[in-house]
Amino acid sequence: MRHARVERWSRGHSVIHRRHAAAKILATVVLLVCIATLTEHTLPTGAVYLVILVISAVAARLPVLAVLSGASAVLPFALCFALVSLLAGDPMQATMLVIRGYLSALAVLLLISTTAMPDLIAGLEWLRAPAFLLQVMQFLYRYLIVLIGEADAMRQASLSRAGSIRTLQCRQAAAAAGVLFVRSWARAQAIHRAMVSRGFEGRIPAFRRMEFKFADVVFVSLATVAITGLRAAL
Amino acid sequence: MHIPDGFLSVPVWATMDAIALPAIAWIARRAQREFDHHRIPLMGVMGAFVFAAQMINFPVGNGTSGHLVGGALLSFTLGPAAASIVMTAILATQALVFQDGGLLALGANVFNMAIAGVVAGYLPYALLRGRKAGVFLGGMFSLVASAALALAELLWSGVPMPPAILAVSIGLFVVSAIVEGAITLAIVRALEAIQPGFLRRPQAVRGRATLALVTAAVALAGLGVLIASPRPDGIQKLTRETGITSHVVSLLASPLADYRLHVSSAPFLAKSLAGLIGLLIVYFVCLGIRRVLTASRPAMEQEGA
Repeated sequence: MRHARVERWSRGHSVIHRRHAAAKILATVVLLVCIATLTEHTLPTGAVYLVILVISAVAARLPVLAVLSGASAVLPFALCFALVSLLAGDPMQATMLVIRGYLSALAVLLLISTTAMPDLIAGLEWLRAPAFLLQVMQFLYRYLIVLIGEADAMRQASLSRAGSIRTLQCRQAAAAAGVLFVRSWARAQAIHRAMVSRGFEGRIPAFRRMEFKFADVVFVSLATVAITGLRAAL
Repeated sequence: MHIPDGFLSVPVWATMDAIALPAIAWIARRAQREFDHHRIPLMGVMGAFVFAAQMINFPVGNGTSGHLVGGALLSFTLGPAAASIVMTAILATQALVFQDGGLLALGANVFNMAIAGVVAGYLPYALLRGRKAGVFLGGMFSLVASAALALAELLWSGVPMPPAILAVSIGLFVVSAIVEGAITLAIVRALEAIQPGFLRRPQAVRGRATLALVTAAVALAGLGVLIASPRPDGIQKLTRETGITSHVVSLLASPLADYRLHVSSAPFLAKSLAGLIGLLIVYFVCLGIRRVLTASRPAMEQEGA
C-alpha cells in the first residue's frame, strides 16, 4: 500500500528528516508558489527545481525512482485536463498543466516522505493552525487504516457469501455502509472511554518536543533564497 | 473534484485560501466551544469512516458504480460545523498523504467541499426537517455546489474548456449529484433500520421562508457561477467584461496588483512574489484575528498545556 510505504520513508534519520517540520512546510510552500507561476518561458527553472527535488530525495536517502513514480499519482487528473487543453488548441497550456501538477505533487510527496505524521502535526501547530482541527486530523490518520481494514474485511465476507461484488445490490451496499457507520461510531466511543481512563483531556500529548534550531532557520533562509533566486535569475 | 496544484492561477488560489483558511479557523473555534472533548475522537473516526465507506461500490446501473462523497451525510449526523471540520481534516489528509488535491489549492478544495458543500447539503435537510426528500436533495446539492465551484475556479484560472466538454462535464455533475443523493438516502435509511437515533433532527425552523430563500440562493449561485464563466480566457478577460466580479476580484487582489505594478520589469518574479506576499498577509491576518478573539474571551482559552 502506497501510504504504508510513505510512512516507512518518513521514519528516516537523514539531515532533511531532522529539520523542524515547520521549516520543511515553509520551504515547500515557497517552492509550490514558485512552481505555480512557472510559464512556458521559464521551463529551465522547472528543470532546475526537478533537479533540486531529486537531490533532496537523495540527501534524504529515499528511493528516488519510487518517489518519482509516486508523484505520478497526479498525472491521471493532469493528463485529463491537458487533453482538454490540447483539444482547445493550446498545447503549451497542456504541457504546463502537466509539468506544474507533477512538480507540485513531487514537492508535497518529498515533504510527507521526510516528515513523520506526528511531527507534521507539531509543525502545523507551531505555525498556529487551529489545534482542534489538528486533533481531529490526528485521530483520522490513526484510524484510517483500521477502518479501511474493517471495510475490506466486510467486503471479503460479502464476496465469500454472495459470489461477486457486482451482484451486490444498492440496498445491500447501503446496509454495509450503515453497519460500518455504526461500528465506527461505537469504536470512537470505546476509544474515547479508553483514552479518558488514561488521562485524556482533549489533547494528544507530543512524544517529543521539537525545537526550531539555528539549523532550521538556515535551512528555510537558504531554501527561500535559492528557490526565489532561481525563479528570478532563469 | 480535488484540484491539484498547478491548475489554478495565483489570484484564484490566493483568494480562495484567503477566504477558506480564516473561515475554517472560525468554524473550528465555534466547534471547539460548542463540543466537549469527547467529540474529538468521534470526529476523527467518522472522518476515517468516510475514507473507508468510499471503498464500498454502489451499483448505479449499466455496470457502473458510484461511491459516497460524504459531506452531506456527515452534516446530518454530526451537525454542519463539525461536518465542515471533519471534511477539512479529510481534505488535508488527502492532500498531504495521498497527493489527492494540492496544498496551495487546499483553500479552494476546502471552500468547495468542506464549506459550500456542507452548507448546500445541510440547508435542504434543515428546511425539510429531516424528511427523506431533504436527505436526497441534501446529498445532491452538496455535490452540485462543490463540483460547480471547482469547475468555475478552473475556468477562472484560464484552463481552456470548449463548450462541448463543458456541457459533458455539467451532465456528469448532474448524474453524480443524483447518485450522491441516492447513496446518502440509502445509507440514512439503512442507518435508521440498523440503529435509529444517529440523525440529528433539525429543530423546527422559524424563518422557513428565509431558509427557503437561502437554499434557492445557494442553488442559483451554483448555476450562476457556471453560466457566468463560459469565458475560458482567464481571469483578466473576466475582470474586463463583467461588472461585479471584477470589483470583488480587484478589491481582493488590490494589494497584490499594486505590488505587481512596482516590479513590472520582471512579471513572473512579480507574480511569485505577489503569491508569497499574499500568503504571508493571509497568515498574519489570521494570527491577528486569533489574537483579538483570544484577548476578548480569555475564559475560552483552556488549551495551554
